[in-house]
Amino acid sequence: MGLFDKLASWLGLKKEVNVLCLGLDNSGKTTIINQLKPSNAQTQDIVPTIGFNIEKFKTSSLSFTVFDMSGQGRYRNLWEHYYKEGQAIIFVIDSADKLRMVVAKEELDTLLNHPDVKHRRIPILFFANKMDVRDSLSSVKVSQMLCLENIKDKPWHICATNALKGEGLQEGVDWLQGTRDLQDGLCLCYIFII
Amino acid sequence: MYFILSGSPIEIAFHFYPWLEAHSDPVAGLNTLSSCMDLADLSGDGENCLVVADLGSSSSGSLGSGMKLKVFRGTSLVSESSLLDLPSGLVAFFMDLNEPRVPALAVASGPCVYVYKNLRPYFKFTLPGLEVDPLEQEVWQQVRLGQIDTVALKDLLEGIRTKSELPLSQRSLRFLSLEPENMEEFVMMHQGQPIRRQTVITCMGTLKKSTADEDGVSCLVIGTESSEVYVLDPEAFIILAKMCVPAPPVVMDVSGQFDVEFRITVACRDGAVYILRRDYDKPKYCVELSSHCVGLVRVGKTVVVGCSDQTLQGFTQKGKRLWSVPLPAPITSMAPMRLSSRGFSGVLVALASCELRLYQDQWVLNTQRTPEPVTALTFGRYGREDGTVVMATQGGAMLVHILRRTASLQKPEGGGPPGAQSVRLNVPKKSQLFVDQTLREREQGPLMHRAFHRDLLRTRLRTAQAYSRALEASTGPSSEQGPVKLHAAVQGLGPNFRLTLYVVNAAALRPITGLSLCMLYDPALYTVAPPLLRLPLLAPGLTYALQTRVTCTGPALCDVIKVCVLQEGRSAPLLTAHINMPLPEAL
Ligand SMILES: Nc1nc2c(ncn2[C@@H]2O[C@H](COP(=O)(O)OP(=O)(O)O)[C@@H](O)[C@H]2O)c(=O)[nH]1
Ligand SMILES: [Mg+2]
Repeated sequence: MGLFDKLASWLGLKKEVNVLCLGLDNSGKTTIINQLKPSNAQTQDIVPTIGFNIEKFKTSSLSFTVFDMSGQGRYRNLWEHYYKEGQAIIFVIDSADKLRMVVAKEELDTLLNHPDVKHRRIPILFFANKMDVRDSLSSVKVSQMLCLENIKDKPWHICATNALKGEGLQEGVDWLQGTRDLQDGLCLCYIFII
Repeated sequence: MYFILSGSPIEIAFHFYPWLEAHSDPVAGLNTLSSCMDLADLSGDGENCLVVADLGSSSSGSLGSGMKLKVFRGTSLVSESSLLDLPSGLVAFFMDLNEPRVPALAVASGPCVYVYKNLRPYFKFTLPGLEVDPLEQEVWQQVRLGQIDTVALKDLLEGIRTKSELPLSQRSLRFLSLEPENMEEFVMMHQGQPIRRQTVITCMGTLKKSTADEDGVSCLVIGTESSEVYVLDPEAFIILAKMCVPAPPVVMDVSGQFDVEFRITVACRDGAVYILRRDYDKPKYCVELSSHCVGLVRVGKTVVVGCSDQTLQGFTQKGKRLWSVPLPAPITSMAPMRLSSRGFSGVLVALASCELRLYQDQWVLNTQRTPEPVTALTFGRYGREDGTVVMATQGGAMLVHILRRTASLQKPEGGGPPGAQSVRLNVPKKSQLFVDQTLREREQGPLMHRAFHRDLLRTRLRTAQAYSRALEASTGPSSEQGPVKLHAAVQGLGPNFRLTLYVVNAAALRPITGLSLCMLYDPALYTVAPPLLRLPLLAPGLTYALQTRVTCTGPALCDVIKVCVLQEGRSAPLLTAHINMPLPEAL
């Protein structure tokens, strides 16, 4: 990231962030991204994603480019090709799908151990989605089952969401912006010291 | 697939544990068999359910209490309804082309197939009755008319049972098993109804009607106790085909399409596997197994049979045996593992030794421990995960394992026949000598045999002689040397020598008493003074030196002097040493 970009963002100019949206199929990734888009750009019916979709949208301070990856088993090996570009990761978990919690953990572990992710301080936002479903697991339980406390070298945050109503999403996005600002702030301090 | 930094623990884990243990419910209370389990999308939302025809609790005395049709979704039981009779098979199948594409369930129990749509009873199909002995019919007719009483009925039925070719009907058998006081009542209750002989369903499968599509309409295929196999039309439930096998079928596998070409592979109670084809009403091929079949699965073109003699055997579709592998424990259940997305097909075999093994042909790809022996298992799509195995254990637990996306399903390195087996041996050509020898062996066989035996006996005799000599000399392998060690030194040029004997007690702690040394020599050659030396108490670890004089009196010759270590109260020497005396030079 060039010095100019940093200054621009510090001065409040829009900045682009590439976000990877990952998670098992049917966890609600496409629904979440759809909710994050401005209401005039939202689609009504969501069909299972094949391969991946690229969505762009802006919030007050950031301009997001989101790679909405398909979570179906046969497409999950596509994920790793986008790790390099990703500056933040949104990992969506269906907190009502207890059976596949191990699979979600497995995919998360694979992600965290990938060379393109392992040594980067890339922020990860977890959405424990479908909190409205009866018998769904709490975000605390989800983070226990995924052993999130073991992630020591990356900023992460988990929030319970209901993507159908958009509940909980803003909290997550705010956190993500916070981490970006924090990083940029640190970079700027560094620049001023020099 | 990517490579993780080599040596990382994750990579190793991928290799050895292809299964993720997704769910385990020790109190699910399942008592079922692989043939009474199926996975199907009953709600049409892409999430597959597990459907189980539960045999109920057999422990509570009478078999057949609490028989249930259970539906599991994810980790929970979502539906449960009672079954009327003990189930012998359960399949999910598409019986029509209606939208949404939701499969129906067929549960076989007794002589009937109960069909459920949307988990509600929809149709009941009953197998046609069997021929009843006319004499038996006649007897019951007379009972109805009041012409004979129960005692006469009993005698007549007993007579028919021993003489007739046809077995008695269920009703007559029940009657004969009753106590005399209950007979009257039984006859009163049943005499009005026509008498029928029913067979029961032993196994059930599905056969696609005309398309190979995943959701194509399927026929039901049922095997009966009367050694028949029926194919039923899925819409009208009429019998489309009837085939006969030599014994009651117990396990079946069906492939192909009814309208095109199909194969029904059935393992029967006579310990044979029969292969039925379209347009034949008798088996086309037959495989005689070495022992009874406990499981039968088809993978691709191979029929894999698990036998009760703890072997797994592979056959071609024409019944030719391809391979056989021994198993460490009896098989408790088997299921095919077909994973089309990875082009993989194998067989899951659960063993009584609490193992779940994955076989591809004769090679074991993986062995997974299970907490208990698995009594029923099925592989397929469960929930939203394609590679899932659902198991029921002996104690009624439900286990769900999911195949890792990155699991390697490769045959192990070095599997199969060892490389040396394919190396051609350098067998020399037949030489004239070889031919001559062969001829000689053929002609003089008995003579050679006798000569061999004579030599063998001689060898034995020699061995025995040598052994006994060694025993006598107490130098052989059996001589108990004990802890005493002896060595000797001869000093002098002759004819007078000094013989020094060094004795050591090599025992760690214990001293030895009552030993003496005795010299044995040829008195014509030597005099030894003194010829007997008494040893003091031998403290462990110390060397005792004892001396004696040897004078050469005879001609100048070398001879041997034997030194024996004697223990008081023992007839055999403890130890014997041979001392080669030098040539006396001064003579
Ligand atoms: N009840 C409930 N359903 C949700 C929620 N989020 C998504 N869904 C449903 O889950 C299904 C899968 O969503 P989708 O966005 O396609 O998942 P993706 O495969 O991760 O992209 C859709 O039917 C959504 O309506 C939620 O928060 N609550
Ligand atoms: Mg999607």
